[in-house]
Amino acid sequence: MESTAFTFRETSLPSPPSPSPLGHMRVLIQPNLSVRGWPTSAGSRALEGFEALEDATIVTLLSKAGAFLIGSAHMSELGLGLSGDTVAQLIAQGQAQIGIMTDTLGEARLAAAHARLFGFKPSQGTVSRLGLIGLVPSMECCGVVGRNLEDIVSAMTAISKRDPQDVSMTKEALPDFDSVPSLRSETARLVVVEEYLDTLESREARAFEHALRRIERHAGLPVKQVHLPDYHLFAPIHQVVGSVEASSSAGKYDGVRYGHRTPSARNWNEMYLNSRGESFNTLIKSYLFQGAYFQFERYASFENACRIRARLLDQAREAMADTDCLVFLTRRPAHDPYRAATIKATYDAFASTLAANVTGQPSIQIPGLVADSEDDDLGVLLTGPALSDPLLLSIALHISKSNKGVSLT
Amino acid sequence: MTYEPVIGLEIHVQLNAATKMFCDCPNRPGDEPNLNTCPVCLWMPGALPVLSAEALDKATLACLALNCTVQPESAFDQKVYYYPDLPKGFQLSQHHRPLSRNGWLDIVDEHGQTKRLGIHHIHMEEDVAKLIHETEGRTPISLVDFNRAGAPLIEIVTEPDMRSPYDAVEFLKALRTQIRYSGASDCSLEQGTMRVDANISLRSPGTDELNTKVEVKNMNSIRHVGDAIAYEIDRQRECLEKGEAIVLHTRLWDPDKRITAPMRSKFSGPCVPDPSVPKISVADEWLEGIKARVPEMPARKIERFITQYGLSREEAAAVAQERDLSEFFEAALSYGTPSRKAASWLTAQVLPSLRDQDRMIAETPLTPERFASLLAMLKREDIHANAAKEVLLALLVDDKPPEEIVDTRGFRQVSDSSRLESIVDHVIAAYPSDVQEYRNGKTKVLGFLMGQAMKSSEGKANPKVLKDLFARKLA
Repeated sequence: MESTAFTFRETSLPSPPSPSPLGHMRVLIQPNLSVRGWPTSAGSRALEGFEALEDATIVTLLSKAGAFLIGSAHMSELGLGLSGDTVAQLIAQGQAQIGIMTDTLGEARLAAAHARLFGFKPSQGTVSRLGLIGLVPSMECCGVVGRNLEDIVSAMTAISKRDPQDVSMTKEALPDFDSVPSLRSETARLVVVEEYLDTLESREARAFEHALRRIERHAGLPVKQVHLPDYHLFAPIHQVVGSVEASSSAGKYDGVRYGHRTPSARNWNEMYLNSRGESFNTLIKSYLFQGAYFQFERYASFENACRIRARLLDQAREAMADTDCLVFLTRRPAHDPYRAATIKATYDAFASTLAANVTGQPSIQIPGLVADSEDDDLGVLLTGPALSDPLLLSIALHISKSNKGVSLT
Repeated sequence: MTYEPVIGLEIHVQLNAATKMFCDCPNRPGDEPNLNTCPVCLWMPGALPVLSAEALDKATLACLALNCTVQPESAFDQKVYYYPDLPKGFQLSQHHRPLSRNGWLDIVDEHGQTKRLGIHHIHMEEDVAKLIHETEGRTPISLVDFNRAGAPLIEIVTEPDMRSPYDAVEFLKALRTQIRYSGASDCSLEQGTMRVDANISLRSPGTDELNTKVEVKNMNSIRHVGDAIAYEIDRQRECLEKGEAIVLHTRLWDPDKRITAPMRSKFSGPCVPDPSVPKISVADEWLEGIKARVPEMPARKIERFITQYGLSREEAAAVAQERDLSEFFEAALSYGTPSRKAASWLTAQVLPSLRDQDRMIAETPLTPERFASLLAMLKREDIHANAAKEVLLALLVDDKPPEEIVDTRGFRQVSDSSRLESIVDHVIAAYPSDVQEYRNGKTKVLGFLMGQAMKSSEGKANPKVLKDLFARKLA
């Protein structure tokens, strides 16, 4: 398993550890993050054989902070969903302390939940996207998974830096991850969304109830309820906007400059059609078709989706006005993201994580807090207001520490 | 049945910014193919666009020069289509929220009436790569040159206010002058820094209807734009007279056959907001800074030249048509050259030579100082006018001081009457019968005698001094 789980392994030995923020932390990445000279296929035939020309900004920042990039693992095609992904498994095995995973629908957090790890998606615009071969620019970002939350905090301190080459980063001050240990999380105010509770299947509802009691009892944090009237719209809005952006940004895969090019084509039009047709799997193809459909045939629906997205941002802000974070379950036991092969199955599996991608808010998966009747760790997901990343991590640390030594069931 | 043509233009202007629009590659499309490329303009995976501040400055300058209102907020969209000149499958363009709106230019139409023609909006966009179609043996091949991909453009979309090819030509001339003045672009159709598409439809005179239009492309001079529009008006009129419907499509102007022919249109899709290029919010102080960079524009400059320097309207218009020439003119005046003299020499001598050589005045060794000293020599009668014209031609190609050119080429005029007196005496002695005729009242003979004297001075004699000498000696 170990040898086939990697797509690339760095063979040169790490330089002797010198005093640096990340010591010689071992970091595993996905082949959609550019490291000069590494195979960078982003899990797609469309990038078959492509080697990155320059380092991604976060790769530079990690290396500068003393981390050691051990290689890359398998990923889903272009980072959509978790089909074929091996990063979290390798981290769980101890191959590396942290893994960098693109989080578009919640991949980093959901994979972490499956492997009983921590998984963090930072606020949109706090980590440079330069060198990330993505699919949905306005929703995806580099997430971090790891066994220890402290490692994730250290990694975030290193990679959340301003990059003049990514002008889509936030104009606000970047979060101060050094402040995490000093923040007062013992009085944090947690809430659950009532409309979310309505969506839970009975097995999930029981497990969630159990998790909330545990947080109240052990961490001493009472959990209240709040309304987010349009909660049910997060998934459709993610689907419409996400697929339209994907359709545009995957337009560059034409088989001309890199990647798979069809051996049979009589003219360039056929070359495009065949190369693209042979490159993408069914999930990506249907996602791109869907995006093209909204662009070309239902543009008004796309515009509506953009407007509703703005409204959802307002509602999420309002729901959090007097609280520090929202609480969800990360996993849905009846919906396996590793087996999801259709858009619907994929979106069903990511139902509770994708809201944070729509709003750009920070979100963290915490393991070991909740098991369902089949003893499955479903993971607890906390989502905070935009740019509240350090407080969110501090709350997660507090909850997780207070839970230590308590058995799951 | 008579028809009224309704004409609107879409004009792409390549800004003369140093770099491309979203990367640091040099904005030099004419270099060796694919020299000026990087991961951003080749749209390699993981690359991100960063809008060039200079491109935004120059685009805004051009908008102000065309009397447009710069919008407080504008944004880039992805114009989606698939074609080999566009490797990322979309072009970054401001479709939904353009940089500026509601501009205008005044022209004088063919009936001598001043006419204000509207500009609907101006937006920024990146240029696409250039396709070169060749054959390799008998196989047709297409080559792509990415030097132009990502070059900074503005697109000026006019209102359908033009009613004749003449209007369109005058509009383009005015637009070219304004943008050149602003310093944002050279606007040369010949060099490809300006490209014009014309939309043409016909309607019954006196109605407001906008009928199906036909787009005409591929005109590589302003004159061709006029010719192509005139052809297209006739073509559509003939169609309508035969009872054929006009179909929305694009035609290419063929400059050799002087006709338009239908072309296969590119598949063009929708425009979605781009998530990676931030929207542009215009701060007041920034806009004031750009406004301060807008120079005095030709219409105002012409009026000032008339009142301040006493030029005729024609002289003022000729001197002010190009910013560099007008600045050259005023610089020459600072050396004491009389204004009308400077204007007439610039328009009658310098401009035609520059046009012949296809050069800008700044590209020649002629400086305002050298120009002024030539006119000063003319005034001092060191040289005469014909010689001055010769010297001026030399000054446009030779950077030696004007005095040296005058001396080495023997243009210096002889005004010294003691030197000319002996020549006059010699001519009087050599042509006694002509002298006698003159004295008998046949004054026309003086021309012949002057000619002989001039000849023996090898053309260098000051004619005024010669004439005085003859008058005195033959009296």
